[in-house]
Amino acid sequence: MFELFIAMVKEEWRVHSTMFGSLSFALFPILIFWIAFMGSFLLPLMLKSLPSGELSLVLHANYLMLGFMVGAFGLLGSEVMNRRFGQASLLAYAARSLPLSERFIFANFVIKDTLYYFALWVLPLALGFLLASPFIGVPVTLPLLLSLTLTLSFLFGLCAVFFLSSVYSHSKTALAGILGILVIAAGALALLTGRNPAMFFPPLMLFNAFSWLNLTFSCVAIALLFTVSIWLFTPETSGATTRYSDMLTPLTKKLSFFPTPPLAAKDLIDMYRSGGMVGQTLFSFIIPLVVIWFFLSLLNGYLPSNGVLLEFALVTGVIASTMYTWLTMFDTFGAYACLPVSVRTLIKSKIASFSVLQLIPAVFVAIVATLSGQVIYLVPAVVICLSVSFYCLGVTIWLTGLSPSVLVYNVKVMVTYLILIGIVLLTLSAVAFASPFTALGAVILFVPATFFARLGFAKWEASEQPGF
Amino acid sequence: MTEPVISAQDLTKIYGDLTAVNHINLTVHKGALFGLLGPNGSGKSTMIKMLTGQIRPNTGRATVLGIDVQQNPIGVREHVGIIPEQETPPSFLTATEYLQFVGAVRKIPDISERATWWFDFLDFKDKKDVLCKDLSRGTRQKLMFAQAFIHAPALALIDEPLINFDPIMQHVVKDYLTNYVKAGNTIFLSTHILEVAEEICSDFAILHKGNVLHSGKVAELTAENRHLDDFFLDLVQRSRNV
Repeated sequence: MFELFIAMVKEEWRVHSTMFGSLSFALFPILIFWIAFMGSFLLPLMLKSLPSGELSLVLHANYLMLGFMVGAFGLLGSEVMNRRFGQASLLAYAARSLPLSERFIFANFVIKDTLYYFALWVLPLALGFLLASPFIGVPVTLPLLLSLTLTLSFLFGLCAVFFLSSVYSHSKTALAGILGILVIAAGALALLTGRNPAMFFPPLMLFNAFSWLNLTFSCVAIALLFTVSIWLFTPETSGATTRYSDMLTPLTKKLSFFPTPPLAAKDLIDMYRSGGMVGQTLFSFIIPLVVIWFFLSLLNGYLPSNGVLLEFALVTGVIASTMYTWLTMFDTFGAYACLPVSVRTLIKSKIASFSVLQLIPAVFVAIVATLSGQVIYLVPAVVICLSVSFYCLGVTIWLTGLSPSVLVYNVKVMVTYLILIGIVLLTLSAVAFASPFTALGAVILFVPATFFARLGFAKWEASEQPGF
Repeated sequence: MTEPVISAQDLTKIYGDLTAVNHINLTVHKGALFGLLGPNGSGKSTMIKMLTGQIRPNTGRATVLGIDVQQNPIGVREHVGIIPEQETPPSFLTATEYLQFVGAVRKIPDISERATWWFDFLDFKDKKDVLCKDLSRGTRQKLMFAQAFIHAPALALIDEPLINFDPIMQHVVKDYLTNYVKAGNTIFLSTHILEVAEEICSDFAILHKGNVLHSGKVAELTAENRHLDDFFLDLVQRSRNV
């Protein structure tokens, strides 16, 4: 049965390598390794402004976030078979003709995906820091411990969202109950101990004070969450067809102010009926960002008074830009190839739908600004968030067209993306920290966003759309 | 002779080491039911994709309904109907919604009436409110057939249109295609089912490994008392031996 797993790993490799070449894909973890290796030399400099405890906190929060972002397998459920790469015929689908249970196939798929993300993101970073440690005077045990705790952070995030999304696909009430219990528990912990609940995150506690008990607890919790999530997976029942009334016609009329109303209506119906509208918002956006807020708020003493909110708005902007992948994950261009629809038109339509979805981060940042008692900075925070989001969208369109979730693993694409986004984020952080209201000038980012999007229209219109 | 609706000169498509279509010249005249015949992997679908502007040729040019495909692929797709080889209708739209979607994109004013006619004609109105992902292959094929003809195009390029239909539906569709051509329209049909081609096609070309081995009229073969399948097998066999 191990053959299925190996075949899935090979398939994942080929999906990416056929898109942009084996070498380019193979270079991706090397890039992450190189960034970590070179970044480690900046550590002494960073420690001058941020104590090591807070630095490790940021790192763990990032890996927890990565786990959150990729862990919503429960949302895919039975749709995992044909949703992952649009209309591609994947082994996860084809294997259903073999004498294997769908739960077994699904478990293999999830483990394969987890290992892939681990090999692409977590391992290279840990190795980069490990190899740099002798040069920066850090004891070798520290990067080893960090590798372990970052891996646990990633797996915690992934399994927690996997579990919550699986519960969600069964019962929304049960999910609300679990989230309610978690909120009460976090509140009680904060009240009883007088500390931020994020400090009790097991991998972080393990990093700060290693104990075998904590390590065992973390591993058991991850294994338990994973097992229950797999157990909750429900295979598709044959013949269970639901009938739907026509939503497209009224929605197309309501969206008549859009450049291409039927395409926008289709996007929204796709998201709504696949469970993506609520599910993706909850599991790939709100839950990760709420947790990140807790982590960032621990940096309160090291940033200007409004710094955490504005930094949070920046992070929210970057995360909000990934909503573009929600809109492109349902269909390949092939589905439109028999219609008079150009790539340019399709991307423009996705931008319009994306703009509607940006209400979510805008409202979210506004709520956070209000709840954190910083209503005065509500407008700059929302402006930063939306400007960053649209700027990232423009860059994403230019670099990846209609295939953002696949082309991101092209090392050339990734490097260009990191440089273009990194420069803007650093500049904007500095400006916002110096004077929050100056950050309103972030609206200027809409100019390069439009420029990159236009470059993208021309680039992807001129190239054949990848298919499988 | 009637005016050409498809004219391809020196069309070539290369994928890596594979020449899928090799310097093909082809003309299809108005009112023809043209069959592009060939074994699996002979380049039939690639030809349709090039003629509808879905992919670009490495060399050569083509005009469809007088429109240069490379210059204006969207213009071509506006005026023709297409049944692609693999693509299925969007998973999360119902059959009705998909036809409404096609109607909205193609700006067909009476799309609801036309959709109703197609549901009746292809006998799948009981499935019109079901999501496309839950439809059987045959029903999806009916839907793809309906979307290709719903705007009554002067030319339809259809790739293996009968492959998922039962014998009754094959009969209905063959009749439809024959009558469609009689009404003055043109069909460019790609298939490897030779009996169907012999039964309904007026003209044909045999494609093998990206090369046109023969093109002509079905009536000429029949006049010589020859069957298309024998002719096809003989030609492909000789080509393989060469």
